[in-house]
Amino acid sequence: MNRSIEQIKEAVVAGKHKEIVGLVETAVKDQIDLNSIINEGLIEAMDIVGRKFGTGEIYVPEMLVAAATMKKGLAVIQPLLKGAASQPKGTVIMCTVKGDLHDIGKNLVIMMLEGAGFRVIDLGVDLSAEKLVDQVVEIKPEVLGLSALLTTTMPEMQRVIAAFQERGLRGSIKIMVGGAPVDAKFAAKIGADGYGKDAGEAVQLAKRLIGVH
Amino acid sequence: MNLQPDFERLRKTVRHEEPDRVPLCEVLIEYPIQGKFLGRQVTQDDLGSQVEFWARAGYDFIPLTVGMMSPGKVTQESSISRVIRETMLKDSPDSRDDKAWNLEYTSFIKTREDFEKFPWELASQLDFSKFHQVKDLLPDGMKVIAVSGKIFTLTWMLMGFNHFAMSLIMDEQLVADVFSKVAEIQFQGLEAILKMPYVGAVWVVDDLAFGNGPMISPQAFGDHVFPWYREMAARCHQKDLLFFMHTDGDVMPLMEDLIQMGLDVLQPIDPTCMDIVKVKEMYGDRLTLVGNVPNELLRSGAPAEVEQYVKNLIAQVAPGGGYCVGSGNSVPEWANFDNFMAMREAALKYGGYPIKR
Repeated sequence: MNRSIEQIKEAVVAGKHKEIVGLVETAVKDQIDLNSIINEGLIEAMDIVGRKFGTGEIYVPEMLVAAATMKKGLAVIQPLLKGAASQPKGTVIMCTVKGDLHDIGKNLVIMMLEGAGFRVIDLGVDLSAEKLVDQVVEIKPEVLGLSALLTTTMPEMQRVIAAFQERGLRGSIKIMVGGAPVDAKFAAKIGADGYGKDAGEAVQLAKRLIGVH
Repeated sequence: MNLQPDFERLRKTVRHEEPDRVPLCEVLIEYPIQGKFLGRQVTQDDLGSQVEFWARAGYDFIPLTVGMMSPGKVTQESSISRVIRETMLKDSPDSRDDKAWNLEYTSFIKTREDFEKFPWELASQLDFSKFHQVKDLLPDGMKVIAVSGKIFTLTWMLMGFNHFAMSLIMDEQLVADVFSKVAEIQFQGLEAILKMPYVGAVWVVDDLAFGNGPMISPQAFGDHVFPWYREMAARCHQKDLLFFMHTDGDVMPLMEDLIQMGLDVLQPIDPTCMDIVKVKEMYGDRLTLVGNVPNELLRSGAPAEVEQYVKNLIAQVAPGGGYCVGSGNSVPEWANFDNFMAMREAALKYGGYPIKR
């Protein structure tokens, strides 16, 4: 791998937010392929960050700063990209379900999805099934991510899936679920398309669900 | 089984001795559950009924909150919410919208300027009225546990979690200053309660972890949070008070730090992500464990299942003292009342020392 890209990758993993802009600008000036900077530098770095978070090697603050560093680097390149090269991997709607105001986990997933190259629409907290269906019809994302912290709000996830079925739209959206009380068994039981145990897994799941790398 | 409150029962357990029975212990039992037990409504202001509930139900103490934030409805019923509503949003048209003041939705300290203009002085005016009222209501043997703390939670809530987490690395001094201010106010509350002879312990309620581990690194906790709690534990021990902590989540990577800072009791050993038997094996000789009866079981299980769970728990972790029966978090109003009763009755039925295996 090109040394400049390697340095960019290392800077994101280490959260060197003050250095990233200079490193990316240098790489651009040296005419390194922009897509290589994004895919092999910035996005690969976030894959490493996701894995380190998953194994407990780093914690939320380090992950968030890495994601912010990645975004600063990306901001240097984005204006230079044209056409398909600047297209996101896909669009994901994220929210917590009705009755649940706890958004820490959802926000972490959003940061990681953005870091991985997705366009993310954050609908916030406490979303009813009906409103979600309306939003999905309007925005047409590939993936819907539902988060719940409370055992009492978990059943709302099932209601959301039922609402899509009732409107005949279940086939047009992939639904992933997560949050402290949720597990893969629950996800399968309610008919979700997948479960992510943490932000890193959620990114891998979103990629898998829409068939991108 | 003896239901007479006896705080010495709890103290003996914490010394890893065996009292007459395994104590019951909760940081919060919501008023509707208390009301069902007593057969009449119990309200926030009805301290007499609250004391009656805790005593008759077999607890050796009543938990009372002193501090800027209460457990349970942490932002709705807390003094910090009142300060924000009544001062910062006094002239705002949004003041009636809870999304404008409720720290579950919003935050107030993003910059140094926000920190400087925050009404810290008003926030430090803590309400001790319940502490003064309760002293004449306590039956013999019963003490108060002062629920305090939330130094970590309140700091990140005031800053917003993402902003707090990033500032911890990018603007560490601002984070340190917010921690100091919050801790300073909690210490003012502590100094007042240490003078009250009917207070037997201080219970810090501060969630430090997610289900998959600490919310920030052990190093960051060591730099910014634990020094305050070490000091708090030392002040409690000087006055012969016990020092309790409640935290959700998997705190295994923090256990040595928690013990080193002088913690006597850890609750609730979150059953969704911690194995209490393993915790007992590794740390049970240095720490008393409380709780671990899953809230999901209390919500959706059958009383017979709850009874069996508590029976097994007592057999595994209560011999030799150092364990109290309780929920895996607190007893919210959505817990099935019959299951709460089953937990309590199983503790009384199977918790007599010596424990029969």
